[in-house]
Amino acid sequence: MTAVIISDNRVGNWSRTLREAVLHTGTHVVRFTVNKLDIRPCTACSSCSGKTYGRCVIQDDMQKVLPKIAACRALVLISPVIFGGVSHHIKKVMDRMCALGDPRYYMNNGELVKGMSGQTMNYYMVGVGDKLSEAERSAFFALHKENRIIMNVEGSAFILDSRTDNVSIEAIAKEIAHV
Amino acid sequence: MNKYNIMLLCASPRRKGTSAMLLERVRNLTGGDVVFLPQKDSLEEFAMTMKQAETIVISGPCYINTYPARLIELLETASRSGGFSGQKLYGIINGGMPYIHTHRHGLTTLQLFAEQNHLSWQGGFVLGGGAMLDGKPLENHMSRKKVVPAFNQFIRHIAEGSSSLDSLYEQAQTPPGRFVTRIFSKFLTSMVLKNLKKHGHDPNAPNWYLRQQG
Ligand SMILES: Cc1cc2nc3c(=O)[nH]c(=O)nc-3n(C[C@H](O)[C@H](O)[C@H](O)COP(=O)(O)O)c2cc1C
Repeated sequence: MTAVIISDNRVGNWSRTLREAVLHTGTHVVRFTVNKLDIRPCTACSSCSGKTYGRCVIQDDMQKVLPKIAACRALVLISPVIFGGVSHHIKKVMDRMCALGDPRYYMNNGELVKGMSGQTMNYYMVGVGDKLSEAERSAFFALHKENRIIMNVEGSAFILDSRTDNVSIEAIAKEIAHV
Repeated sequence: MNKYNIMLLCASPRRKGTSAMLLERVRNLTGGDVVFLPQKDSLEEFAMTMKQAETIVISGPCYINTYPARLIELLETASRSGGFSGQKLYGIINGGMPYIHTHRHGLTTLQLFAEQNHLSWQGGFVLGGGAMLDGKPLENHMSRKKVVPAFNQFIRHIAEGSSSLDSLYEQAQTPPGRFVTRIFSKFLTSMVLKNLKKHGHDPNAPNWYLRQQG
């Protein structure tokens, strides 16, 4: 079982702390810090759902990240909570992940949904921020919920702040490791 | 009137897509120019031009349930340099899925951005079923009878500088029932499969990145 942790370096030490806690459960971890990588925005060229099905044609560092996500059992995105969502660095990864999506349509609870291509990963979002308003917090959780629906995956979202203790981190790590 | 009195900002990398079509509709009533969010290089200078506008209308696609990364980058950049002074902000987000809940996070983001940066949030418009339009006029929308007048009303709010309520777009779009949904999903999937077949791909094969790893 491999967990992929993708973080924005503005979250301080949380990325390393969480990585160590997940490693502690005996899970293999691959970690990327996106700010240092050259990841360009999705151009909506639609090649990944046609001509080069399942593959993104933009040649940058995302080509190192996509194979790891494709093979992982847990994907963890760690981001500062920005305007109730994730940072643009993390969002670039999310947008480019479409190459791993199943372009077919399915029905779930009477609604049209999509899914991941042959993927059985769980999907976690970890937001970091102190003194967030209720509106920011609920927007962050709402984004994760919608992501789960559209990708047809399981998983949870968490928000960490300076009061978050080791016990909570261990609980999160256990949930991530238990796929 | 200064050039950027009203800024009509298209946040899609597709210049002839649905986001641009909707902005063009706004422009017909409000005047001004449609500007496209640069997809390369630093956004520092571009963020400055936002601050010269009195009214900003942002129209963009829904990518994974909210606006594309590049617009988030613009908001982060503009927020870092500060300097807004009560600019009126309106948002439009369109996505493929024929639902509102899937796309509305984009507007929440704009509202929070406005509240945290001294702009004045004036409301927005969520449009589901936008991918099928693919830049074609709104009159081709599956709920055109209600969506066209609602969007026209939204544009009048922008022109008058008044705020627009969520109920305006919510009441104009009802999600398709189970039967229609099933037909949609069959139809859309058949289009996808046809396209994959044309390019010689097996939809059931493991992902390309997995095949490279053996
Ligand atoms: C990377 C990417 C992610 C997308 N994610 C979603 C999504 O989560 N939900 C949805 O309904 N449509 C999604 N779409 C479809 C676009 O929202 C839709 O095609 C939209 O009409 C594009 O607007 P435009 O023509 O202005 O670019 C996605 C498209 C791309 C390229």
